[in-house]
Amino acid sequence: MNSKKIRIAIPNKGRLKEPSLEALARAGIEVLEEDRAYVSRTSDPRFEAIFARANDIPVYVHYGAVDLGITGHDLILERGADVLELLDLEFGNCTLVVAVPEDSQIESVSDVPALARVATGFPNITRSFFENCGKQVEVLEVSGTAELAPKLGLAQIIVDITSTGETLRQNKLRIIGSILESTSRLACNKIAYRTFEKQITELLARMRGGTE
Amino acid sequence: MTAPVARIVTTRMPSAPEPIRLFYVNNVFRYSQSYLKREREFCQAGVELVGCNTPEADAEILALLISSLKQVGLQDVRIDLGHASLLKDLMNAAGLDEQQKVSVQSLLACRDAVGLKKFMEQNSFPSNLRDAFLQLSRCRKLDEVSSISLNGSKYDRVNKQLESLMELQETLADYRIDEIVFFDFSLTKKIEYYTGMVFEASVPNLGLPLGGGGRYDNFIEKFGKLKLPATGFALEIGKLLQALTAQGFELPEATETKVIVASTFREAAVEAVKALREAGVIASLEVTRRSLEKTLEYGKFTETDYVVFVGSSVESPVTVYDIKSNISRNVMLKTFLGELGGQA
Repeated sequence: MNSKKIRIAIPNKGRLKEPSLEALARAGIEVLEEDRAYVSRTSDPRFEAIFARANDIPVYVHYGAVDLGITGHDLILERGADVLELLDLEFGNCTLVVAVPEDSQIESVSDVPALARVATGFPNITRSFFENCGKQVEVLEVSGTAELAPKLGLAQIIVDITSTGETLRQNKLRIIGSILESTSRLACNKIAYRTFEKQITELLARMRGGTE
Repeated sequence: MTAPVARIVTTRMPSAPEPIRLFYVNNVFRYSQSYLKREREFCQAGVELVGCNTPEADAEILALLISSLKQVGLQDVRIDLGHASLLKDLMNAAGLDEQQKVSVQSLLACRDAVGLKKFMEQNSFPSNLRDAFLQLSRCRKLDEVSSISLNGSKYDRVNKQLESLMELQETLADYRIDEIVFFDFSLTKKIEYYTGMVFEASVPNLGLPLGGGGRYDNFIEKFGKLKLPATGFALEIGKLLQALTAQGFELPEATETKVIVASTFREAAVEAVKALREAGVIASLEVTRRSLEKTLEYGKFTETDYVVFVGSSVESPVTVYDIKSNISRNVMLKTFLGELGGQA
């Protein structure tokens, strides 16, 4: 089985792609990106890379379609992926928050009325957060731009990730609670960890050395 | 299926001689809110060895698991094995409270060696205990575990567990399977249920375990008055098929012959279909009153082998259309049945 390459999934765009490539480069893995190929070679013949949507990477790793993947902790939780989070890569910092329009009557999560509509791109985390608070809400799944929901009259409340707070400010939204802090993680398939334990432990040591 | 089996053993088999060896292949049902976790109904094949707690019994279960997977045709099978009571006794010897136990199990399950070290330092674990935990998380072969032992009477139970692991390793060597059984202290799932070894089977081609099991000596008594030790495993058939496919195995196709009988003479057609079915052929009657051409097309799309066009009587030759080759010929129905009999 050692002829098989270890496959890493890297976010294909956005604020996560460059830092991911840098983190791997510091560990000695340069991704040799090719336009047409869906699998890219790297400078380390034992590793190959694929580019994928960060939102899908937890699923790829869970099922072992890739052995390793770089993606946000928030996405790993949202997709319910049962994977090993071997390393906190310390970039892509953001917070998943509950927010309402500035002029809303709602001051805190405990004020949230029963059956309030909450628009979010994180329906699973949102559902279990409100359940744990003992609040019955209607969760509306929207992909991205949850911040528009109150303006459209779609929902009184949103749950969204924020890093600088700029998007919330621009949309005149106020944070009433925070659900979790997230950073990018190196996720690993549990079976792949056993197959490639030596190479993965070595990679971790090099990646840790790089981020210290 | 372990729970229903336990119930049967205590309620229906109270005087069965021990050890009792049972197996099952059955659909089981699970509920999970997460759509990434298992399906709600799937087929499980498993065994239970009830009434005996020895390394020989444990080794037999592991050997049976490995030989079953090899028999199915899987390559590169490996078993990863942890030990629930070793972990429990270590945590008790460390005097951990429930919250701390949960933390330790979680750190082990996440393979967070750095976090585990920090946790043990923050909670003032004695240094020999810290070393034991770290060494155990690094051990990958059962014989490496033999280098670990703790001095002091409060570690009596722990040392007993380590000894039994050693005995298990020796028995596995007798079965010549010790090379593919690995030690994995991070296997900490369901340790309230397991009382000894806990293990999982996997192959490198599939990102999910094929199945697993362990020893659960305190479980069967929950169903009745009998206190019986037990050990066993269960495999998910769906995962076995996925693993086989991932390893390039081609699943054999069904070989039964399928025939459609068409005719403008209903009585003869019904007689022909009966004769074919009695001969063990899967035969269906064309009931739609469409043209022969349309029947032949339907035959192609439904992977039918032959369409038989019958005249006014089954005593006259019928026309047999071979769908795959597009060749048709006239033959007596009896002769055709004879030919199929040879193939069936």
